[in-house]
Amino acid sequence: MPQQTFRLQRHDPVENRSYEQEFTTDVQPGQTVLDALNDIRWDQDGTLSLRMSCRHAICGSCAMKVNGSSMLACKTQVSAAQSRAGVDGVITVGPMGNQTVIKDLVVDVDGFMDKFEQARTWLEPPEGQEPPTREYRQAKENFDHWAHASTCIHCGACYSDCTVAEVDDKFLGPAALAKAYRFVMDDRDSTKDERLKMLSGMEGGIWDCTRCYMCVQACPKDVLPMDAIIELRTEAIAAGHVNNNGSRHSKAFAGGVKKRGRLDEATLVPLSLGFSPTAIPAVLSYTPGAIRLLRSRKLIEAAKRHAAPKQARREIKRLFEQVQDEKQHHDLDAESFAALHEEANKTH
Amino acid sequence: MRAALEVAEDPTLDVAILTKVHPLRSHSGAAQGGIAASLNNSSDEDSWDLHMYDTVKGGDYLVDQNAAEILSREAPENIFELEHMGCAFSRYDDGRIAQRRFGGHTEPRAVYAADRTGHALLTVLFEQLLKRGVKVYSEWYALDLIVKDDVCQGLVVYDILSGQLETIAARGVMFATGGYGRAFRVTTNAFASTGDGVVMAYRAGVPLQDMEFVQFHPTGLQGSGILLSEAARGEGAHLVNSEGDRFMERYAAGRMELAPRDIVARAEQTEIDEGRGVTDLKDSVFMDLRPIGEERIRYALPSVMHLAKDFAGIDSLKEPVPIQPTAHYSMGGIPSDVDGQVRYKDRDDKPVVGFYAAGECSCVSVHGANRLGTNSLLEAVVFGRRTGRSIREQVGDLEPTRVTEDDMKRAVAEIARFRDGDGTERVGAIRSDLRDLMTEKCGVFRADAQLTECLNEVKDLQGRFGSAAIDDRGTTFNTDLLDAIELGHMLEFSELIVTGALARQESRGGHARHDFPTRDDEKWFKHTLAYRDEDAPRLEYSEVNMVPAYRDPYPLEERKY
Repeated sequence: MPQQTFRLQRHDPVENRSYEQEFTTDVQPGQTVLDALNDIRWDQDGTLSLRMSCRHAICGSCAMKVNGSSMLACKTQVSAAQSRAGVDGVITVGPMGNQTVIKDLVVDVDGFMDKFEQARTWLEPPEGQEPPTREYRQAKENFDHWAHASTCIHCGACYSDCTVAEVDDKFLGPAALAKAYRFVMDDRDSTKDERLKMLSGMEGGIWDCTRCYMCVQACPKDVLPMDAIIELRTEAIAAGHVNNNGSRHSKAFAGGVKKRGRLDEATLVPLSLGFSPTAIPAVLSYTPGAIRLLRSRKLIEAAKRHAAPKQARREIKRLFEQVQDEKQHHDLDAESFAALHEEANKTH
Repeated sequence: MRAALEVAEDPTLDVAILTKVHPLRSHSGAAQGGIAASLNNSSDEDSWDLHMYDTVKGGDYLVDQNAAEILSREAPENIFELEHMGCAFSRYDDGRIAQRRFGGHTEPRAVYAADRTGHALLTVLFEQLLKRGVKVYSEWYALDLIVKDDVCQGLVVYDILSGQLETIAARGVMFATGGYGRAFRVTTNAFASTGDGVVMAYRAGVPLQDMEFVQFHPTGLQGSGILLSEAARGEGAHLVNSEGDRFMERYAAGRMELAPRDIVARAEQTEIDEGRGVTDLKDSVFMDLRPIGEERIRYALPSVMHLAKDFAGIDSLKEPVPIQPTAHYSMGGIPSDVDGQVRYKDRDDKPVVGFYAAGECSCVSVHGANRLGTNSLLEAVVFGRRTGRSIREQVGDLEPTRVTEDDMKRAVAEIARFRDGDGTERVGAIRSDLRDLMTEKCGVFRADAQLTECLNEVKDLQGRFGSAAIDDRGTTFNTDLLDAIELGHMLEFSELIVTGALARQESRGGHARHDFPTRDDEKWFKHTLAYRDEDAPRLEYSEVNMVPAYRDPYPLEERKY
């Protein structure tokens, strides 16, 4: 039987010491990384700790890093992990990132789980109104639009690989935001506007994502967290929740490009922070950086505010118009959808 | 979780959920195909009576008819309530909840969320817990139920994170601890489904009911036994043997692939035993999804498609999937009534005051000898809600509890035996032998000689377990220790499965004997109750309830499809 070596990142909670240890075990075709880890636990070293339960990729217990990327061990074939192993052919397995390690592959998930409460991820039906005697009529289009985001199994793989969570533990993170999206879009919810206001205004909300796409890559289901966050931004701006750095930044960024054909760095910071007395401390916080840029002559280049060549500007203008057209088309779809929904409710 | 929400309605009560895995990791989440209710969204012919009839017949008449009546009558209101909480149910174009066909159900009454219905229900209940701020003790392991003079006092519990033992005094304790399928080699069950709750109750003096009835699901992935939802057959998948023959024609021509699970599993096993199995091992048959069509598979069965791909490397859009019967659901368990109250059912129906159970760990019994698909999520919700209500109404009047340090003695000794002992047997090796044994000798088909051997071998394994040792002597997140404790549970309830199966000389629902191939209502129309005695379990029997409140009982009939 073929053998495979695993390099495990372990943690001893008594000595508070992290170390690596290699194990070699027999692997059969079709075997998963979880199967191999269990063989190691049961035949070689029972002190190895990990979480697992369903082995169907639905309970979300066994997220861990395999060759540096977060995934479910139960859903990952050893053969697939082999193809991404290092040159020595050894598969490395370690605990999830962005969370404190308790023992071996077990991390403290409390912080991650608390994010769902902070994002208020539960349905808020209309207050003081009795629900219908049967089900709420929910158009299939509405359900189909957000159903993918309801498939989250709370495994934490996205949060583990999130590059923002790495530097900011206040960030709600991809999973909680995708779940918030699911309630923003669910037409049974009565608090869409409050949700958008909260999510766009709060520290760690929708504008803190850097769009690195790691969450979409790590997700073992079809949640597409980053796409959900981007859609939340669009919804928030459309609903008029624009008094925040994120939406101002987005507007300033696009405005600059539209006008000059390239990013207008000179105006980006002040426009993003806004012109209000409350923005003064934030503006001042950029001063040291600005001085460094000035010293390296980079700010001078930015201040010249070069425009792109004429032909490029025309092309960019055309792109903006095209996007605008598509958006109008999309809005029309949304309108006809809303009408349909109203109709369905009437017949109910 | 459903029960906790009910108890939390009374702010004067202090309610908490204690669980060995985070609540979102519960095995209910793995239920795929649906939850039954006669909503009539896809039919005009359905009714609770018909749902009840299907359930009673599906359970080969070992169903308590008062319980089946409640299950089917209360199903629609429970579905609407979950929908109002925000459950992500699949819809029809006009906005109503969609419904589809399922095995053993006459009408299309499976409400579903694609093929992740359990996940959708688990998620919505957890959301409601968050909203209400119900306390959860996550990753705490219950070791002993404390019962004194037939009154429940509380629990002995173990904090997995710190390794500390504690007692919890409680006037009401409810078990929702799931099934015991993990004792089989080929199973759909989670690693967590080790029957902890049923064994805790048994050790506390409560008998266990109908333990010999284990459901083998017809469509487990070959080898691993991982579940491929019955929804696949509900949507139109075919079962085919090595000769390319849709063999269900010969076993249940009226329902074909949508006959109840016990019948389909036996048909498959017969095909395999008679040499018409597929693959090199000839230990499986094919499930062919292609008749459903690619677009519909992608929309309605994404999990089935992904599971076949990720766990067997098979593209179900292009080729058939080898499947085999897999231990799936535990019909037996803790005897409870329709309000979750646990009772010693043979002794004048005496209650264990303050002790409640619902869901797969309990035996109400709504499933009798064989559960219909989509009735398990329904059972958990309907009886979870009823149990929560009865706890809310009853515990306020109960006496304060008496819990002392002494109550921890057994648990302290058990942990010390593994953590500080110097045994030589590896837990993993004993568990592996047990699971091989149970699948081989107490599986889809059973017979006297095999069962007798099986019982002796279980006892041998219990002997070996006496000198079991573990590697991890630490206190923090010691999963090695939990594995050992769980194996102790598996060895204890496995003996009850085999003992009950050996005694029951008939074939009924999920219990099929080669040597007694027919149902014997004269001798065996009764529930088994296994009590814990000094040397071996003692079997008693109790009557099947035939007194529904709103209609006449369904009389016993031959079960044909």
